[in-house]
Amino acid sequence: MQERMPEWFKVKYNEEAVNEVSRLMAKLKLNTVCKEANCPNLGECFQKHTATFMILGSQCTRNCRFCNVVHGTPEPVDTEEPMHVAEAVRDLKLRHVVITQVTRDDLPDGGASQFAKTVSSIRSLCPDVTIEVLISDMKGDKNSLDTVIAAHPEVINHNIETVAPLYPDVRPEASYERSLSVLRYVKEKDSSILTKTGIMLGLGETKEQVLQTMDDVLTTGCDIFTIGQYLRPSPAHVEMKEYISPEIFAEYKEIGLQKGFRYVASSPLVRSSYRAAEALQSGDTL
Amino acid sequence: MKQVITMPKLSADMKKGVLAAWAKQKGDTVKKGDVLYEVEAAKVVSEVEATVDGVLTEVYFEEGDEVDVDTPVALICSEQ
Repeated sequence: MQERMPEWFKVKYNEEAVNEVSRLMAKLKLNTVCKEANCPNLGECFQKHTATFMILGSQCTRNCRFCNVVHGTPEPVDTEEPMHVAEAVRDLKLRHVVITQVTRDDLPDGGASQFAKTVSSIRSLCPDVTIEVLISDMKGDKNSLDTVIAAHPEVINHNIETVAPLYPDVRPEASYERSLSVLRYVKEKDSSILTKTGIMLGLGETKEQVLQTMDDVLTTGCDIFTIGQYLRPSPAHVEMKEYISPEIFAEYKEIGLQKGFRYVASSPLVRSSYRAAEALQSGDTL
Repeated sequence: MKQVITMPKLSADMKKGVLAAWAKQKGDTVKKGDVLYEVEAAKVVSEVEATVDGVLTEVYFEEGDEVDVDTPVALICSEQ
Protein backbone atom coordinates (compact mmCIF):
# COMPACT_ATOMS: atom_id res chain seq x y z
CA MET A 1 0.00 0.00 0.00
CA GLN A 2 1.23 3.48 -0.80
CA GLU A 3 2.48 5.93 1.84
CA ARG A 4 -0.35 7.88 3.50
CA MET A 5 -0.66 11.51 2.60
CA PRO A 6 -0.48 14.16 5.32
CA GLU A 7 -3.76 14.93 7.07
CA TRP A 8 -3.89 18.39 5.52
CA PHE A 9 -4.50 16.94 2.06
CA LYS A 10 -8.06 15.92 2.83
CA VAL A 11 -10.74 17.36 0.53
CA LYS A 12 -14.49 16.91 0.05
CA TYR A 13 -15.95 15.14 -2.97
CA ASN A 14 -19.60 15.43 -3.92
CA GLU A 15 -20.38 13.48 -7.05
CA GLU A 16 -23.59 15.32 -7.86
CA ALA A 17 -21.90 18.73 -7.83
CA VAL A 18 -18.93 17.52 -9.86
CA ASN A 19 -21.18 15.90 -12.45
CA GLU A 20 -23.37 19.00 -12.71
CA VAL A 21 -20.45 21.30 -13.51
CA SER A 22 -18.85 18.68 -15.76
CA ARG A 23 -22.05 18.35 -17.79
CA LEU A 24 -22.26 22.11 -18.31
CA MET A 25 -18.65 22.23 -19.47
CA ALA A 26 -19.21 19.34 -21.88
CA LYS A 27 -22.38 20.94 -23.26
CA LEU A 28 -20.53 24.17 -24.01
CA LYS A 29 -17.42 22.32 -25.24
CA LEU A 30 -15.28 24.03 -22.61
CA ASN A 31 -12.18 22.85 -20.77
CA THR A 32 -11.30 23.57 -17.18
CA VAL A 33 -7.79 23.53 -15.78
CA CYS A 34 -9.40 21.96 -12.72
CA LYS A 35 -9.96 18.76 -14.66
CA GLU A 36 -7.00 18.88 -17.05
CA ALA A 37 -4.50 19.47 -14.25
CA ASN A 38 -6.17 17.01 -11.82
CA CYS A 39 -6.60 19.82 -9.33
CA PRO A 40 -7.12 18.50 -5.78
CA ASN A 41 -9.63 21.28 -5.12
CA LEU A 42 -11.95 20.29 -7.97
CA GLY A 43 -14.58 18.80 -5.66
CA GLU A 44 -14.74 21.84 -3.41
CA CYS A 45 -14.75 24.35 -6.25
CA PHE A 46 -17.34 22.54 -8.36
CA GLN A 47 -19.56 22.20 -5.30
CA LYS A 48 -19.33 25.97 -4.91
CA HIS A 49 -20.07 26.31 -8.62
CA THR A 50 -16.68 27.80 -9.40
CA ALA A 51 -14.23 26.66 -12.01
CA THR A 52 -11.22 27.97 -13.88
CA PHE A 53 -11.83 27.96 -17.60
CA MET A 54 -8.97 26.89 -19.82
CA ILE A 55 -9.28 28.44 -23.25
CA LEU A 56 -7.54 27.69 -26.55
CA GLY A 57 -7.96 23.93 -26.30
CA SER A 58 -6.58 21.19 -24.09
CA GLN A 59 -3.24 20.60 -25.83
CA CYS A 60 -0.29 22.68 -24.65
CA THR A 61 2.65 23.51 -26.90
CA ARG A 62 5.06 23.37 -23.97
CA ASN A 63 5.93 20.42 -21.78
CA CYS A 64 6.67 21.78 -18.32
CA ARG A 65 7.76 18.96 -16.05
CA PHE A 66 5.44 19.81 -13.17
CA CYS A 67 2.21 20.19 -15.13
CA ASN A 68 -0.42 17.57 -15.98
CA VAL A 69 -1.93 19.45 -18.92
CA VAL A 70 -1.37 17.40 -22.05
CA HIS A 71 1.49 18.39 -24.35
CA GLY A 72 0.63 17.92 -28.00
CA THR A 73 -0.48 19.38 -31.29
CA PRO A 74 -2.92 22.18 -30.50
CA GLU A 75 -6.45 22.32 -31.84
CA PRO A 76 -7.74 25.11 -34.11
CA VAL A 77 -8.97 28.13 -32.16
CA ASP A 78 -12.71 27.83 -31.43
CA THR A 79 -14.32 31.13 -32.41
CA GLU A 80 -17.39 30.32 -30.33
CA GLU A 81 -15.36 29.69 -27.20
CA PRO A 82 -15.44 33.28 -25.82
CA MET A 83 -19.24 33.38 -25.82
CA HIS A 84 -19.47 29.84 -24.46
CA VAL A 85 -17.29 30.85 -21.51
CA ALA A 86 -19.55 33.85 -20.93
CA GLU A 87 -22.62 31.59 -21.01
CA ALA A 88 -21.04 29.26 -18.46
CA VAL A 89 -20.18 32.21 -16.22
CA ARG A 90 -23.82 33.28 -16.44
CA ASP A 91 -25.21 29.78 -15.82
CA LEU A 92 -22.88 29.14 -12.88
CA LYS A 93 -23.81 32.58 -11.47
CA LEU A 94 -20.15 33.41 -10.90
CA ARG A 95 -19.20 36.74 -9.39
CA HIS A 96 -15.51 36.30 -10.11
CA VAL A 97 -14.14 34.25 -12.98
CA VAL A 98 -10.64 33.00 -13.73
CA ILE A 99 -9.67 32.31 -17.33
CA THR A 100 -6.45 30.52 -18.11
CA GLN A 101 -4.98 28.96 -21.23
CA VAL A 102 -2.80 26.28 -22.62
CA THR A 103 0.39 27.90 -23.87
CA ARG A 104 0.03 28.49 -27.60
CA ASP A 105 3.47 29.25 -28.96
CA ASP A 106 2.08 28.28 -32.38
CA LEU A 107 -0.20 31.33 -32.52
CA PRO A 108 1.35 34.66 -33.55
CA ASP A 109 -0.22 36.43 -30.57
CA GLY A 110 0.07 33.51 -28.14
CA GLY A 111 -3.72 33.53 -27.82
CA ALA A 112 -3.96 37.12 -26.59
CA SER A 113 -6.84 38.04 -28.89
CA GLN A 114 -8.86 35.04 -27.66
CA PHE A 115 -8.37 36.31 -24.11
CA ALA A 116 -9.55 39.76 -25.16
CA LYS A 117 -12.63 38.35 -26.89
CA THR A 118 -13.42 36.20 -23.87
CA VAL A 119 -13.16 39.16 -21.49
CA SER A 120 -15.35 41.20 -23.83
CA SER A 121 -17.97 38.45 -24.10
CA ILE A 122 -18.16 38.07 -20.33
CA ARG A 123 -18.48 41.85 -19.92
CA SER A 124 -21.37 41.92 -22.40
CA LEU A 125 -23.28 39.03 -20.81
CA CYS A 126 -22.33 39.45 -17.13
CA PRO A 127 -21.30 43.08 -16.60
CA ASP A 128 -20.94 42.80 -12.81
CA VAL A 129 -18.51 39.88 -12.85
CA THR A 130 -14.87 40.55 -12.02
CA ILE A 131 -12.38 38.86 -14.33
CA GLU A 132 -8.96 37.38 -13.70
CA VAL A 133 -6.79 36.05 -16.50
CA LEU A 134 -3.95 33.62 -15.90
CA ILE A 135 -1.72 33.95 -18.91
CA SER A 136 1.37 32.29 -20.31
CA ASP A 137 4.45 34.43 -20.82
CA MET A 138 3.31 34.92 -24.44
CA LYS A 139 6.99 34.66 -25.27
CA GLY A 140 7.36 38.11 -23.72
CA ASP A 141 5.79 39.67 -26.81
CA LYS A 142 4.66 43.19 -25.91
CA ASN A 143 2.04 43.41 -28.64
CA SER A 144 0.37 40.28 -27.28
CA LEU A 145 0.53 41.56 -23.73
CA ASP A 146 -0.89 44.91 -24.90
CA THR A 147 -3.92 43.08 -26.30
CA VAL A 148 -4.61 41.42 -22.96
CA ILE A 149 -3.98 44.62 -21.01
CA ALA A 150 -6.33 46.59 -23.29
CA ALA A 151 -9.15 44.15 -22.47
CA HIS A 152 -8.71 45.39 -18.90
CA PRO A 153 -9.44 42.39 -16.71
CA GLU A 154 -9.35 43.24 -13.00
CA VAL A 155 -6.43 40.85 -12.41
CA ILE A 156 -3.63 39.61 -14.67
CA ASN A 157 -1.86 36.59 -13.25
CA HIS A 158 1.28 35.05 -14.63
CA ASN A 159 2.86 32.33 -12.54
CA ILE A 160 6.57 32.30 -11.90
CA GLU A 161 6.00 28.74 -10.60
CA THR A 162 9.32 28.12 -8.82
CA VAL A 163 12.58 29.67 -7.69
CA ALA A 164 15.13 30.64 -10.33
CA PRO A 165 17.71 27.87 -9.66
CA LEU A 166 15.09 25.16 -10.31
CA TYR A 167 14.00 26.46 -13.73
CA PRO A 168 16.18 24.07 -15.77
CA ASP A 169 14.49 21.07 -14.11
CA VAL A 170 10.96 22.39 -13.66
CA ARG A 171 10.34 24.92 -16.46
CA PRO A 172 13.01 24.20 -19.05
CA GLU A 173 11.09 25.96 -21.83
CA ALA A 174 10.50 29.14 -19.84
CA SER A 175 12.65 31.88 -18.35
CA TYR A 176 12.53 33.30 -14.82
CA GLU A 177 13.58 36.72 -16.08
CA ARG A 178 10.99 36.71 -18.84
CA SER A 179 8.23 35.87 -16.39
CA LEU A 180 9.34 38.75 -14.16
CA SER A 181 9.37 41.06 -17.16
CA VAL A 182 5.78 40.06 -18.05
CA LEU A 183 4.61 41.06 -14.57
CA ARG A 184 6.61 44.27 -14.70
CA TYR A 185 5.33 45.24 -18.15
CA VAL A 186 1.67 44.78 -17.19
CA LYS A 187 2.07 47.02 -14.15
CA GLU A 188 3.95 49.66 -16.10
CA LYS A 189 1.34 49.76 -18.85
CA ASP A 190 -1.72 49.87 -16.59
CA SER A 191 -1.20 50.22 -12.85
CA SER A 192 -4.95 49.90 -12.23
CA ILE A 193 -4.80 46.20 -13.12
CA LEU A 194 -3.86 44.01 -10.17
CA THR A 195 -0.96 41.70 -10.95
CA LYS A 196 -0.58 38.31 -9.39
CA THR A 197 1.88 35.45 -9.43
CA GLY A 198 2.63 32.30 -7.49
CA ILE A 199 5.04 29.50 -6.73
CA MET A 200 4.87 25.84 -5.75
CA LEU A 201 6.84 24.49 -2.81
CA GLY A 202 8.23 21.02 -2.21
CA LEU A 203 10.47 20.89 -5.28
CA GLY A 204 13.68 21.20 -3.27
CA GLU A 205 13.83 24.98 -2.99
CA THR A 206 15.45 26.57 0.08
CA LYS A 207 13.90 29.21 2.31
CA GLU A 208 16.48 31.73 1.12
CA GLN A 209 15.48 31.04 -2.49
CA VAL A 210 11.80 31.51 -1.68
CA LEU A 211 12.49 34.84 0.00
CA GLN A 212 14.69 35.92 -2.92
CA THR A 213 11.83 35.06 -5.29
CA MET A 214 9.47 37.22 -3.25
CA ASP A 215 11.97 40.09 -3.45
CA ASP A 216 12.39 39.64 -7.21
CA VAL A 217 8.63 39.56 -7.77
CA LEU A 218 8.09 42.65 -5.62
CA THR A 219 10.44 44.64 -7.86
CA THR A 220 7.82 44.23 -10.61
CA GLY A 221 5.14 45.95 -8.50
CA CYS A 222 3.17 42.72 -8.15
CA ASP A 223 0.17 42.88 -5.79
CA ILE A 224 -0.86 39.30 -5.05
CA PHE A 225 1.33 36.26 -4.29
CA THR A 226 0.18 32.65 -3.98
CA ILE A 227 2.11 29.72 -2.50
CA GLY A 228 0.99 26.08 -2.61
CA GLN A 229 2.38 22.55 -2.31
CA TYR A 230 3.58 20.86 -5.49
CA LEU A 231 1.94 17.45 -5.93
CA ARG A 232 3.50 15.21 -8.52
CA PRO A 233 0.90 14.27 -11.15
CA SER A 234 2.68 11.02 -12.12
CA PRO A 235 6.08 9.31 -11.92
CA ALA A 236 6.87 10.89 -15.29
CA HIS A 237 6.74 14.36 -13.76
CA VAL A 238 9.41 16.17 -11.80
CA GLU A 239 9.91 14.64 -8.37
CA MET A 240 8.33 16.09 -5.26
CA LYS A 241 11.10 16.37 -2.68
CA GLU A 242 9.04 17.05 0.46
CA TYR A 243 5.72 18.00 1.98
CA ILE A 244 5.87 21.49 3.46
CA SER A 245 3.92 21.86 6.70
CA PRO A 246 1.01 24.29 7.09
CA GLU A 247 3.06 26.15 9.71
CA ILE A 248 5.80 26.93 7.19
CA PHE A 249 3.18 28.11 4.69
CA ALA A 250 1.76 30.42 7.38
CA GLU A 251 5.24 31.77 8.06
CA TYR A 252 5.75 32.54 4.37
CA LYS A 253 2.42 34.35 4.29
CA GLU A 254 3.50 36.64 7.13
CA ILE A 255 6.89 37.25 5.52
CA GLY A 256 5.27 38.04 2.17
CA LEU A 257 2.92 40.57 3.71
CA GLN A 258 5.76 42.17 5.66
CA LYS A 259 7.83 42.43 2.52
CA GLY A 260 5.07 44.35 0.78
CA PHE A 261 2.61 42.13 -1.09
CA ARG A 262 -0.92 43.45 -0.74
CA TYR A 263 -2.38 39.96 -0.50
CA VAL A 264 -0.78 36.55 0.05
CA ALA A 265 -2.53 33.17 -0.14
CA SER A 266 -0.27 30.49 1.28
CA SER A 267 -1.27 26.99 2.34
CA PRO A 268 -0.73 23.46 1.05
CA LEU A 269 -3.82 23.34 -1.15
CA VAL A 270 -3.55 26.86 -2.53
CA ARG A 271 -3.48 26.94 -6.31
CA SER A 272 -3.19 30.14 -8.30
CA SER A 273 -6.93 30.36 -8.87
CA TYR A 274 -8.12 28.67 -5.67
CA ARG A 275 -10.61 30.96 -3.91
CA ALA A 276 -9.33 33.72 -6.18
CA ALA A 277 -12.32 35.91 -5.40
CA GLU A 278 -11.21 36.23 -1.79
CA ALA A 279 -8.26 38.40 -2.77
CA LEU A 280 -10.53 40.89 -4.50
CA GLN A 281 -13.02 40.80 -1.65
CA SER A 282 -10.34 41.84 0.84
CA GLY A 283 -11.05 45.44 0.01
CA ASP A 284 -8.93 46.85 2.81
CA THR A 285 -5.70 45.78 1.22
CA LEU A 286 -6.47 45.90 -2.50
CA MET B 1 -34.82 2.33 -3.36
CA LYS B 2 -31.26 1.09 -3.57
CA GLN B 3 -28.31 3.24 -4.55
CA VAL B 4 -25.05 1.58 -5.51
CA ILE B 5 -22.05 3.62 -4.39
CA THR B 6 -19.12 3.25 -6.77
CA MET B 7 -15.48 4.26 -6.68
CA PRO B 8 -15.52 7.74 -8.22
CA LYS B 9 -13.27 8.81 -11.06
CA LEU B 10 -11.58 11.71 -9.31
CA SER B 11 -9.40 12.70 -12.23
CA ALA B 12 -9.31 12.13 -15.95
CA ASP B 13 -6.51 9.56 -15.77
CA MET B 14 -7.55 7.81 -12.56
CA LYS B 15 -7.87 4.03 -12.91
CA LYS B 16 -7.94 2.95 -9.25
CA GLY B 17 -8.21 4.45 -5.79
CA VAL B 18 -7.28 3.23 -2.34
CA LEU B 19 -10.27 3.00 -0.03
CA ALA B 20 -8.39 4.56 2.85
CA ALA B 21 -11.08 4.59 5.56
CA TRP B 22 -14.77 4.04 6.15
CA ALA B 23 -16.48 6.95 7.92
CA LYS B 24 -19.72 4.92 8.22
CA GLN B 25 -20.18 1.26 9.05
CA LYS B 26 -22.58 -1.34 7.69
CA GLY B 27 -25.99 -0.75 9.27
CA ASP B 28 -25.43 2.97 9.93
CA THR B 29 -28.05 5.52 9.00
CA VAL B 30 -26.61 8.11 6.61
CA LYS B 31 -27.83 11.50 5.51
CA LYS B 32 -27.16 13.24 2.22
CA GLY B 33 -23.87 15.11 2.63
CA ASP B 34 -22.44 12.77 5.29
CA VAL B 35 -18.92 11.54 4.57
CA LEU B 36 -19.15 7.84 3.66
CA TYR B 37 -15.52 6.94 3.07
CA GLU B 38 -12.11 8.33 2.15
CA VAL B 39 -10.29 7.64 -1.09
CA GLU B 40 -6.62 8.21 -1.71
CA ALA B 41 -6.11 9.08 -5.35
CA ALA B 42 -5.48 12.01 -7.65
CA LYS B 43 -2.92 13.53 -5.28
CA VAL B 44 -5.18 13.87 -2.22
CA VAL B 45 -7.48 12.13 0.23
CA SER B 46 -11.07 12.76 -0.87
CA GLU B 47 -13.94 12.46 1.56
CA VAL B 48 -16.76 11.02 -0.54
CA GLU B 49 -20.18 12.24 0.53
CA ALA B 50 -23.51 10.40 0.43
CA THR B 51 -25.89 11.80 -2.16
CA VAL B 52 -29.05 10.25 -0.62
CA ASP B 53 -30.52 9.58 2.83
CA GLY B 54 -30.78 5.93 3.86
CA VAL B 55 -29.11 2.99 5.55
CA LEU B 56 -25.71 1.65 4.56
CA THR B 57 -26.70 -1.98 4.02
CA GLU B 58 -23.58 -3.34 2.32
CA VAL B 59 -19.87 -2.50 2.16
CA TYR B 60 -17.87 -4.52 -0.32
CA PHE B 61 -14.27 -3.54 0.49
CA GLU B 62 -12.06 -3.13 3.51
CA GLU B 63 -9.87 -0.19 4.42
CA GLY B 64 -6.63 -0.30 2.46
CA ASP B 65 -8.11 -2.09 -0.54
CA GLU B 66 -7.31 -0.80 -4.00
CA VAL B 67 -10.51 -0.48 -6.03
CA ASP B 68 -11.04 0.07 -9.75
CA VAL B 69 -12.98 3.16 -10.82
CA ASP B 70 -16.76 2.57 -11.16
CA THR B 71 -16.63 -0.62 -9.05
CA PRO B 72 -19.42 -0.82 -6.43
CA VAL B 73 -18.05 -0.21 -2.93
CA ALA B 74 -21.28 0.03 -0.94
CA LEU B 75 -25.07 -0.02 -1.07
CA ILE B 76 -27.47 2.48 0.49
CA CYS B 77 -31.16 1.62 0.86
CA SER B 78 -33.58 4.48 1.23
CA GLU B 79 -37.34 4.60 1.76
CA GLN B 80 -37.98 6.76 -1.31
